Amino acid sequence: MALQEVTSAFIKRMQSTQTPLKQAWKLQCLRTYATDPMQKELGELEESVHQATPTDAAGKRLSQYDPTQNAKQRKEQLPPSRYQFRSPRFYRGPLHPHQPLKSSDPASREFVPGPFTLPRLQQTYESTIAPDLMTLTYQHYPPGFERPQKGERLREWVGDSPYFKNRPRRGPRGYDVLPLLRKPITFRNVPKLERVTVHTMLKGAADDSAYLHVAGMVVQNITNVRVQTHAVRKSVASFGLRAGKHVSVTSELYGENMYHFLSKVIDVVMPKIKDYKGVKGSSGDSSGHISFGFKPEEVALFPEVEVNYDMYPPKMIPGLHVTVHTSATTDYDARMLLQAIGVPFYGKMVD
Amino acid sequence: MNAGQQSARRIASQNALSRDTVCISCRHRLASHASRRHASAATAAVAEEPPRTQTNPSNPPVTATGPKKAFQLKCSPVLSRPPVITRELTSFEKAFFLYQKRLNERLALPFTRYFYTKKETPGDIEWKRKRSLRRGTAARDIGAYNAYDDEKWNDEVLVGSKLGDPEDITERLILDAEGKDITEGEPQGDAETGGETISGDARAGEGSQKPVAEVNVERPASRITEADEQNDVKSLNRKLDRSLYLLVQNKDGQWRFPEDRVYGRENLHQAAERILLQAGGINMNTWVLANHPIGHYVNAFKSPILSKILPNRLVRTSRELEQEEYGEKVFFLKSRILAGQADLSQNEYKDKDFSWLAKEEVEKVVSKHYWSQIRNMLTER
Repeated sequence: MALQEVTSAFIKRMQSTQTPLKQAWKLQCLRTYATDPMQKELGELEESVHQATPTDAAGKRLSQYDPTQNAKQRKEQLPPSRYQFRSPRFYRGPLHPHQPLKSSDPASREFVPGPFTLPRLQQTYESTIAPDLMTLTYQHYPPGFERPQKGERLREWVGDSPYFKNRPRRGPRGYDVLPLLRKPITFRNVPKLERVTVHTMLKGAADDSAYLHVAGMVVQNITNVRVQTHAVRKSVASFGLRAGKHVSVTSELYGENMYHFLSKVIDVVMPKIKDYKGVKGSSGDSSGHISFGFKPEEVALFPEVEVNYDMYPPKMIPGLHVTVHTSATTDYDARMLLQAIGVPFYGKMVD
Repeated sequence: MNAGQQSARRIASQNALSRDTVCISCRHRLASHASRRHASAATAAVAEEPPRTQTNPSNPPVTATGPKKAFQLKCSPVLSRPPVITRELTSFEKAFFLYQKRLNERLALPFTRYFYTKKETPGDIEWKRKRSLRRGTAARDIGAYNAYDDEKWNDEVLVGSKLGDPEDITERLILDAEGKDITEGEPQGDAETGGETISGDARAGEGSQKPVAEVNVERPASRITEADEQNDVKSLNRKLDRSLYLLVQNKDGQWRFPEDRVYGRENLHQAAERILLQAGGINMNTWVLANHPIGHYVNAFKSPILSKILPNRLVRTSRELEQEEYGEKVFFLKSRILAGQADLSQNEYKDKDFSWLAKEEVEKVVSKHYWSQIRNMLTER
C-alpha cells in the first residue's frame, strides 16, 4: 500500500514538470534550495529502528548478546535443517553419482584440521635461513654464459641386434643408482625441509606385541602423528625375524608437526643429552636426506615422555631413528641447512 | 657451442677494454673454459668454424698520458641483525588458528586422561577440578568450549573477544600453571577467599583449597622492549621481530651503509671485513656471508673528479694512485652481526652517527636514488 502511494506521488511529480527530463533527478531531491521549507512528503516514510538508535546502543546489544541464552529462551523449536550432504564411505569410481568431498572440506571423511600455529622454526627459516643459504650457495655466471650441457647420463644400447630398439637404457656407469645432479641454487630451489620420518624397529615385538604398543604410544606422543606399523617382508633366521610379523613403527611428519618436532629435538632434547657429540658427519644418503638416532634413555628426555614417564614400562621405551628429508640434492647442502637450524655435527664430513 | 657463450668469451678475450667490463672471477672461468678441450667439441668446431672478419683491426694504442680514467670502486658491508622473535600474527591468522583448534576438538577423540594421571591420585583430582572449571575441555587455549556437550554448536567467538590471541593464551597457561581458573568469567571463589578458586569436585575436600605455597610462574619477556618505547635507534634490542640494518651518517651528512674504497689487490670479502673493523670498531662479532655481492649501487658524478688515493695502512698491496673518477660503483656484501655493538669512537671515515634501522626506516633516511638501488636486497622482515 505504502509503496503504491510513493509510486503515485513520484509519477505525479514527473507529470507536472515543464522542464526537460534531464532535470527530473532534481525533483527527487525534496528541496531545491536550502532555504525552501521541508516538504511533508518525508513524513510519509515510517520511522525505523535503525534511524533512531545511536551507535552506542549497538555496542550495548552486542554485550548482551548470548547465543546459548537465546537458544534456551526460545519457546518453539527451530525448523529442521536442510538436506546435508554426507560423504560416501567408499569411493565407487568416477562415474558413481555419490562422489566424496574434497579432503579440504570439513565435512569430508578425510578432513584433518590444522594448522594450529605458525611454528617458530618455519618463521626463522623464511626470514633468516633461506636468504642466507641462497647467498652462501650462490654461484655466479657471467652474462651470456650457459652451463655446458651434460651428455646422456644413461647410455643407449648400441649394436646390430634388433632387440636393442626401444630397449630401456643401460644402467648408470659405476653406480647402482643414478646419483642426483646438483643444480645451481637460485631463489627457486633453496634447500628446505620437506619431511621427517621417525622410525623404530623393536626386536622383542616378534614375540611380545606390547613392545609395539608402547613404541607406538611413545612415537605418537613425541610426533603428534598417528603411527604406521610395518611387517617383516622376508624371514631372517639369524635376526629372529619371521615374515608377516609386525616389528617396526614409523610416523611421517610434514609441515607444522615437522617444524615443532625438529625444534623440540634441537632446543630441548639434544642439549639435555649427556656428552652429546652431535650427528655423525658421515650421515646422509648422498641425496640430501640425513639421519640420526636416539637411544632409549635419550628418548626419555623428550618432554612428552618425561611428563608421564611412570606410565611407560621402563624397559620398553624404544630407541628412535630420525630421518630429515630436505629438498637439497647433496648431503653438503642438506648438512648446511641442518647446521643453520642448529643440529651439531661431529667427525669427518662425508659428502 | 652457443652464441651467448661465444659472445661472452669474445668480450673476455678480444679487446683491452674487457679487463674493466668483466670481473676477475668471470674472466678466469671463461679463460679456463676456453682452454679446456673436449673431443666432442673439436669435431663440431672444425665443422662450423665461424668466418672471423676483423671488424676493428686493432685497438688504438692507449696513450699513457694523464691520470687513469675510472669509477670509484667501493665495497659496502650490509650488516644486519636477523629477527630474534616470531612475528605478530595477523587477526585473520589468529581467528583461523582458533577456528581450526575448535574444529579439531570436535573431530578428535576425547583426551585420554588415564594415560597421564592414575585414578584417585592428587594429580588426577587436581586435573578434574581444573577441567570442570573450563566445562570439561582438556585444551587450555580454546576458551570454555566443550565439543561433546549440548552446546557444541556454539563454537563461534563473539565480536571483541580476545580469545585466540597469543598474549591471551599465554595468560591462560600461566593462570593454569598457578592453579587458577582460566575461563573468561570472574574467579569462581567468593570475595572472602580472595579470589581463590573453590574446588568444583566434592572429593577434593570441603571449602576453599588453600594453596600450599605461592606458585610463581615465570612470565615470558615482553615483545616490546625499553629501546622500543624510547625509540632508541642505536640499540640492537629494538624491533625484535624485524631485521635491523646498520647505517652510518658519513662526513657529508648522508646516511648509507658503511663503505670504503677497495684498495690494492684485496677482494670484496676482505674489504668488507676491513670496513666493518674500521667503521664499527672491534667490539662487533660479525660474519661476512659470501665472497660475492648481493647488490650494487652506481652513481655518476656531474663532472669527473681528479682524486689522489693514498694507500691504506691495513692493505699491504695498496699503492698511491691518482685517477680521474667519473662516478662511484658500490658493491654490497651481506653480513650478520652475532654479538657486540657498533662504536664510532675509533671510526676512520669520520662518520658522524650510526643507527640500526628496519627496512621501512631505511627508506626514510637514505636518498631516493640510493634507495631505488638497495630496496630489493633488503628482506621484508
